[in-house]
Amino acid sequence: MSNLQFALLVTVPVLCFLVIVVAYPLGYALWVSFHEVSFFGGYSTEWVGLDNYVAVLEDGDFWRSALLSVRFTVESVIFTMLIGLGLALILRDLRGRWVWLRAILILPWAVSPYGTGILFAFLGRGQSGIGTAFISLFGSEETINLIAANIVVEYLALGNAWNLAPLLAFFLLASMMTTPSRLYDLAAIDQINRFEVFLHVTLPPLRFTFFVFTCIITVLSLKQFDYIFTETQGGPGNASSVLTYQLYKISFVNLELGLGAAMSFYLLFLILAVTLGLYFFWGRREARNA
Amino acid sequence: MKKRETGMTRRGLLQSTAGVGVAAAAGVLGPFDFARAQGMDLAATSGEPIYFRGWNFRTDVVQANVERYNTNLNGKVDYATVTGDYPSIMEKSLIANADLDVLYANPSSAVRYYGGNWIMPVDDMPNAEEIKAGMYDNIREAWSYKGKLLGLSYFVSTRGTMCINTEKFQAAGFGEEDYPKDWPELYSMLYKLRDKGEKTPYLAHWFAEWFGISWGFVFEMMNRGGVMADPETHKPMMTVDGPAGQTLEDWKKIWKDGFVPEEVLSYNEAAYIDAFRSGRYIISPQQIYDLKTFNDPEQSAAVAGKIGFLPYQGQPWGLIDSAMYLMTSRDRPDAVTDDVKKFASWYGYKNEDGQIAVAERWMKENMLFSAYKEVMESDLAKETIQASISNPDDYEKLIEVYSHTPFPKGIWSVVWSEEFNAWLREKLFAFLQQDLSVESVITEANDEIARLNKKYKID
Repeated sequence: MSNLQFALLVTVPVLCFLVIVVAYPLGYALWVSFHEVSFFGGYSTEWVGLDNYVAVLEDGDFWRSALLSVRFTVESVIFTMLIGLGLALILRDLRGRWVWLRAILILPWAVSPYGTGILFAFLGRGQSGIGTAFISLFGSEETINLIAANIVVEYLALGNAWNLAPLLAFFLLASMMTTPSRLYDLAAIDQINRFEVFLHVTLPPLRFTFFVFTCIITVLSLKQFDYIFTETQGGPGNASSVLTYQLYKISFVNLELGLGAAMSFYLLFLILAVTLGLYFFWGRREARNA
Repeated sequence: MKKRETGMTRRGLLQSTAGVGVAAAAGVLGPFDFARAQGMDLAATSGEPIYFRGWNFRTDVVQANVERYNTNLNGKVDYATVTGDYPSIMEKSLIANADLDVLYANPSSAVRYYGGNWIMPVDDMPNAEEIKAGMYDNIREAWSYKGKLLGLSYFVSTRGTMCINTEKFQAAGFGEEDYPKDWPELYSMLYKLRDKGEKTPYLAHWFAEWFGISWGFVFEMMNRGGVMADPETHKPMMTVDGPAGQTLEDWKKIWKDGFVPEEVLSYNEAAYIDAFRSGRYIISPQQIYDLKTFNDPEQSAAVAGKIGFLPYQGQPWGLIDSAMYLMTSRDRPDAVTDDVKKFASWYGYKNEDGQIAVAERWMKENMLFSAYKEVMESDLAKETIQASISNPDDYEKLIEVYSHTPFPKGIWSVVWSEEFNAWLREKLFAFLQQDLSVESVITEANDEIARLNKKYKID
């Protein structure tokens, strides 16, 4: 058996699998996006060309939802990086009988987005939430509602980060554990302060992990749906009606599958553009440095 | 504008039933006779599973009912619940021809499912005429579309029963004689309560569920005498200076005056109920059956025994909220379809002993009203209702509230109902949060109805 034959033998099953689970649904969605689909009075489809794509671009709700998605994603990435890094630093410095906490801190990542949504809905509400509980400690009878229109996206991003940060923390911890201790010894000899040690010794080996997770968190956040649905249902009002929620509403409430499919391709383009941009402006540099 | 009401009078509701109902109560007919009276043997014969799906409410009761059917009548009913956006999820299951035979649905969803040819009407059952005869005319009419009865009775309720925390109301210096008679008086009362120092006198029906703020608007404008769309032609009928405009004007006023906390807009139904039973609010439109929940010390310790309701004083409160058991029309062997009809008849009508057992159990357990006269006019219903309200003497007043409740046929008995509801929900949130004008909302709502009529070729 030649090398080519062997390569085909091991890759064809995978290719077949990908065709079934990725290419076919994608191709079908593309086909649907050029049609108007109706289920009433009998199933029917009508070719409409690019009408659905044009209609999406002319829809003000699409642009508003796209901006909300970007806002949610950027904030999710920032919060996840900060929380993940903080957790990793804490986990790294755990000693003796506290080491078991490393296992516990992974638990938020094990919670499903659905469960996270329910949890943060309870925590955010004025009548049952953490804000109200906190100020009641000081005798206040006021309520603090974190699911308010002006801050709901930030609150959602915080919950998203709570869910995702432990995974990042463990990868960062792994990188930290492989950093040679002699670098810290040298820093001690140079008598540089703790912040400079963090900046020049701890942080540089973590940059590639940050790049990889920025890409992962970006993609996960842009396509996040179930967490947002269970926590806010796109509200209050439509204050957290991100692109995926808008897609759901158009496709599965209004049953405008053609329009929904066209919008889903814009979401796909957005995800591809952002990840390619990240690679072009950041990933290549990290790869060169590595 | 002309109001659409249930047409059920208090006298009519309280009258005893004749015929089958009385015979059943007297035990004149045996199980076999009943099976024959219903025109069908209820025992399953195909040996295949029947897939029964519903939303998440008292799953313990449903599971017990299903087990009884499986045990007594050789059934293989597979019961499970569906969480999330129930109407949409079920719609996708129906489109996908998924394993689904019997399901819960509201009337508006049922009409849409029938429009997609995904369900079979009750008329296809051998005992259809008997089932129809056992229902109140108004409910049967509400659940019928193009001359077909779409489903069997799960529950009927007045969503928007104006519940009142009598203790807090009296503490503010008011009594029953001050009970508002209509919506304008209710809003006027909110300001009086605030003047007495009440910070949160009103919990508005503005929550985030698909049956939240949009249904709140529908019932309020109907209560004021309005009609959103013509019941027959479905043409839009809202006007800026009519009940729809007056409703929005009042909403804007109490929203700007801070009577409704913003968090209500993100509540699910559980949070909405929890908020009222926390005792923070004085008045709130709720489900009629939740009076039992609110007055139960085990479920609502803070308010139990204190929750009354505003009586009918010339203006109805709320709308008829109801649900049916539907049968799907998916491809399956005839023997399985026969079993589906048998199970649906057993569950949604009468069991092998000729009793409307499931509906009676719902009445007893949760005070769920039924479309069947035999259930509503029974001693069990009266006893349950009297035991569930803060003042048992208010039984007739409660029945009067229920009997005057309208049903929005113009926007619910049409295939675009769910789409319009989703649109209306968002528009009303935007109206409050983005300070849209009353004129623009009314105009856009009428335009949206006209667009949907055009989309679905409804003349």
